[in-house]
Amino acid sequence: MTILQTRAFAAAIALTLMSTSFAFGQSAASSDPTEGGKAVFKRANCVGCHKWHGNGGGGYGGDALSLRKTELTRDQIIETVACGRPSTGMPFFVRGAYESSKCFGMTRADVGPGMPPEGGTFLRPNDIEAVADYVLAHVKGKGEPNHDECVNFFGNASRVCDVYKAGTQLPANSISSGSPSK
Amino acid sequence: MKMTNKVSYLPGRAALLATAAVITAFTLFPARAADTVTQERLLNSEKETGNWLHHHKNYSATRFSSLQEINKDNVKNLKVAWTMHLGGVEGGGIWSHGGLEGTPIVENGMMYVTDGWGSVYKIDARGGKGTLLWKMDPKTDHDWAGAVACCGVDNRGVALWGDLVISHTLDGRLIATNKETGQVAWQRQVADPDKGEVITGAPLIVKNMAITGVAGAEYGIRGWIAATDLTSQKEVWRTFTIPGKGEPGGETWKDDNKAAASGGGSTWVTGSYDPATDTIIWGVGNPGPDWDNQYRPGDNLYTDSSLALDSSTGKIKWHYQHTPNDPFDYDSVSENVLADVTGPNGVPLKLALEADRNGFAYAIDRSTGKFIWGLPFVKKVTWTKGLDPESGKPVEYDPKKTVQRYNAAVSPHRENKVADICPGNMGGKNWPPTAYNPDLKLWYIPVIESCNRITVEESVPEKLKPREFWTGGGPSQPFKITGSVTAIDVTSGKIAGKLETPFPNLGGILATPDLVFTGQPSGEVTALDGKSLQKLWEFNTGGGVNAPPITFSVDGKQYVAILVGLGGAWDKWFIDSTPELKNIQPGSMLYVFSL
Repeated sequence: MTILQTRAFAAAIALTLMSTSFAFGQSAASSDPTEGGKAVFKRANCVGCHKWHGNGGGGYGGDALSLRKTELTRDQIIETVACGRPSTGMPFFVRGAYESSKCFGMTRADVGPGMPPEGGTFLRPNDIEAVADYVLAHVKGKGEPNHDECVNFFGNASRVCDVYKAGTQLPANSISSGSPSK
Repeated sequence: MKMTNKVSYLPGRAALLATAAVITAFTLFPARAADTVTQERLLNSEKETGNWLHHHKNYSATRFSSLQEINKDNVKNLKVAWTMHLGGVEGGGIWSHGGLEGTPIVENGMMYVTDGWGSVYKIDARGGKGTLLWKMDPKTDHDWAGAVACCGVDNRGVALWGDLVISHTLDGRLIATNKETGQVAWQRQVADPDKGEVITGAPLIVKNMAITGVAGAEYGIRGWIAATDLTSQKEVWRTFTIPGKGEPGGETWKDDNKAAASGGGSTWVTGSYDPATDTIIWGVGNPGPDWDNQYRPGDNLYTDSSLALDSSTGKIKWHYQHTPNDPFDYDSVSENVLADVTGPNGVPLKLALEADRNGFAYAIDRSTGKFIWGLPFVKKVTWTKGLDPESGKPVEYDPKKTVQRYNAAVSPHRENKVADICPGNMGGKNWPPTAYNPDLKLWYIPVIESCNRITVEESVPEKLKPREFWTGGGPSQPFKITGSVTAIDVTSGKIAGKLETPFPNLGGILATPDLVFTGQPSGEVTALDGKSLQKLWEFNTGGGVNAPPITFSVDGKQYVAILVGLGGAWDKWFIDSTPELKNIQPGSMLYVFSL
């Protein structure tokens, strides 16, 4: 049986959500219920391949999925985070995936060399649901990343969002101020 | 007094004289003032046999020390003298942790090391122990820099000039720190992370300038080498490694997409310097997009080249390109080791030696940039049948073609979108430095014996965005990767020996008169016989070694030092090729060994 197809599991998730929603660390003043999911997105290093904006992209790590352009449903996102994606770099984040519970109907022996890597941290069912809800609310279907979204993600303590400020797109071969041009 | 214990290692009269000198020094100068590093001292660094003043030991980048208290007969007794925990392990950007790739600098018993985020540590290494005197934390912008560092949170070390410690940060700054107080004297922004530029290399000091290289060819940068005047703090020159239209070499970018503006050509490994000709010799990295060479037809100068620059003006004197219109990501960022040998016909040769990502070792005449000899130093090369004996270019290279296929069946391109290449895109040899023993005329290469798989994605201008990957595809690791230390006899240009290792060499080499020191990412620091490459000593540090060893002496006693903390590109992008390394934990340690 797969992780998702047991009613008991679904019920467990519901119970967990109800009982932990106030112990989840969300401040009473927070008006965005997906703040917790954003914290998971950072803690589990989703940023490491999908980038802060979720657009992913190619490079040394292969092509991480664009979560902005994806058509995956909530259930599919949850399954992918829990089980990873065989034969890709997408890790699994549930302890015991492919062992104590099957993934995509497979055990570790079934998936063989296509076994996805283990995520840097293990996530509980409510964390996985939270990060899926964060992606659905703030990433999936959004256009190009912009300055507001960046500041919402990082805050103001870093220059990481400068590149998205209107009017500061530098031509690729210009020289930043303070150095002589050649 | 305590210091007199140290002189027991010196025989007889030397011991008495040394004792007198030490006592005098302590009596007259109880609080030691910082030494001043001048160009005179940097030019004559080999006279300071106990010091390691340059990143690569000397301007020729030989990483050879004449110290031989530790030698092939007693190295089996080498043991840990002291260790120190450092910081900088936290992650940032796309990186879950930092690592240590730095070369320590040692001057008169004072050691300077950096951690991955660019903190500089000054450590008093006298008295057989390490005492941290100060730590300068540059407060690197983790998110800003870490998002566009392709290959790890790393900093390869400092340089010394005057009474300052000169360092870089990942977020693109050049920093001058007061050697005595550890306070930042001044800093300037040299690289721009808004353009995808970061800095990982150590500065090179030439005359009164700090020379800086940049990383980011995977992010669509236009590479450069810059010189900052350390007195005025102003930039003296900046030489772009990708020529502009109309400039010499500009005609080797034949596309209609302004590919040169994002053509790569990064310069993130510290170069070498030839004082006799006042020439800086620096390696240039891959073109971008890395694996879609059809996007950028033409030879793509000066990517994948060794460049010689006039130190005062930065003007290019000569270049030698190894892999024109490169479809493999075979950078030539490597250090060029400057060696003088007598050639086969008794002719004296002034060489620049470069062990390239493409799996070939090259000897170039460093006065003219002319190819002298080249040969494969890896076990397996499939991308080319070999080098033309005259020009040194791959035999399949056709200057009449704008897009090179080399061995087309195994080359990645738009009509062959999945290709297995040997060596893998990581090399051959990556940034870890070689070492050269001028007595034995042996050049030791830290080898990655590899193949990997490239999947090509066709690039279009719309995909080029600031701070996003611009690679035209990416690598995957279906094949096991191992390593070796491979020695080349520089007078004959032939392989002299190869010691195969279970894992790739990710740290680099130190050479002494009869020994070679290196490390493995599985934890071992090893000493090999310099002639036979037989292993004579090994110590497992319990962490992943991916930094070069150095040797130095303090008060007559010789030490070997190495930073240990797995990081860089390997454990994020390439770990599938070495699954046993998945259990190596991040860390940040300095190990110092002695007899």
